[in-house]
Amino acid sequence: MSAIFYDHLIILDELDSEIKSVSGSREEKEELWKIVDETIHHRVMDVILSRLPRESHEEFLEKFTQSPHDRALIKYLREKIKDDVEEIIHEEIQKLKKELLADIHKKK
Amino acid sequence: MGKLPTQTYQDIDLRTPAELSEHLRNKLKLKNLQAKEAFKKKHPHADKFLQEKGVELANIRTHSAKLLGTGALAAGLLLNNPSQPLTFPSPNQIVANIIGQGQLSSLITPQEQVLGALKQILPEKPQPLDRTTEKALENLFKNEIGIPAKATLEGEHLNTTYGLIGAEQHLYRYPGDTLAQHGSGAVLDEGIAPGLGAWGYFAYSKDKLTPDLEEDEKWYAVVQTLYLPNWNQRARYLIGWYKYRKVLIVNTVNGKAVVADVADAGPAAWTGKQFGGSPEVMNYLGGPRYKKGPVIVFFVDDPENKIPLGPVDYSTIKLPQVVGQAI
Repeated sequence: MSAIFYDHLIILDELDSEIKSVSGSREEKEELWKIVDETIHHRVMDVILSRLPRESHEEFLEKFTQSPHDRALIKYLREKIKDDVEEIIHEEIQKLKKELLADIHKKK
Repeated sequence: MGKLPTQTYQDIDLRTPAELSEHLRNKLKLKNLQAKEAFKKKHPHADKFLQEKGVELANIRTHSAKLLGTGALAAGLLLNNPSQPLTFPSPNQIVANIIGQGQLSSLITPQEQVLGALKQILPEKPQPLDRTTEKALENLFKNEIGIPAKATLEGEHLNTTYGLIGAEQHLYRYPGDTLAQHGSGAVLDEGIAPGLGAWGYFAYSKDKLTPDLEEDEKWYAVVQTLYLPNWNQRARYLIGWYKYRKVLIVNTVNGKAVVADVADAGPAAWTGKQFGGSPEVMNYLGGPRYKKGPVIVFFVDDPENKIPLGPVDYSTIKLPQVVGQAI
């Protein structure tokens, strides 16, 4: 299922392994999953809005809040940004993954 | 240059699991705060817009699940409306035709019939199904697989019933349990999860582990209870409802079916998967190398607890009753 239109671009299995390896309970695991999820949404929306022309922001946000799952938003963004928005989101997620894994592996 | 053997001890992490967990939480939380601050600072108008709409990016998944739940219900009502013209067979018609054919064509196995129906009914990619399709599948599973399974049971419905399942590890069943006690061969390859399942240990001690509890771990499934739209408000009830709840899992690629029970929550939405299966579940559904694939997950309607966990073998041809009668 895709609850958010960019879910198919986000696969962070390595991070999931890190969380599972230290979580002792369901609550703990879910709390950490949620923190990552929130971070993803802010980073993805940040990169989208940074590339989307300012005059289209309200229109996009309106569509997004009405149907966050709608894959047609990708098409909308592709037309407005005039670039491969899926690649842009994918790159941002890869960047986030690297940052998170590097942070986690720092001992302090 | 690599480290001297006398220096490799520096790589050993001596922190306790609790300290490692705290370290991870702190790092993730810090990145989370940075992302939120950067968003607010760079796009204050967007932040204001979302606030006015009453939508928080942090809770966008719950918001979406609510909208999808309402939408699926509306779509179901629309498709069930007889005044709507249908230009192609409805899922119910497809299933009815296939079930009807089964009586005539004794050369087609029930598994082949299920696969044929799934190909016609299901969308190309896993996604939430409308109620009409789910009803047709319930009919198909009951008639061909022989399991009464429902997408909505006692008012409960998963966010999606058609998604991707991923391989999970074994779960500790009691304090002191080890991987070696979970069988032998390929089912041990996934290892054992460091943390406990959603409901904790299956038994307080090894001598309290009944054969039923052993089966519960062996044939366990993972579903995304954490993303249910009203999980926070109804957590106490839902935890009780989902604990060891039986589900029918059908591999939509090969038609293999297994009855499993919910013993853990997950996977995280950002893994690209919606369900999880124990090593035994995954091995049965797709073989020892099966790590991820599309499945249907329905609740098993088994109020008297008569349906056993494990594989459902429905591959043999059901011969019409007259065949066995003496001439």
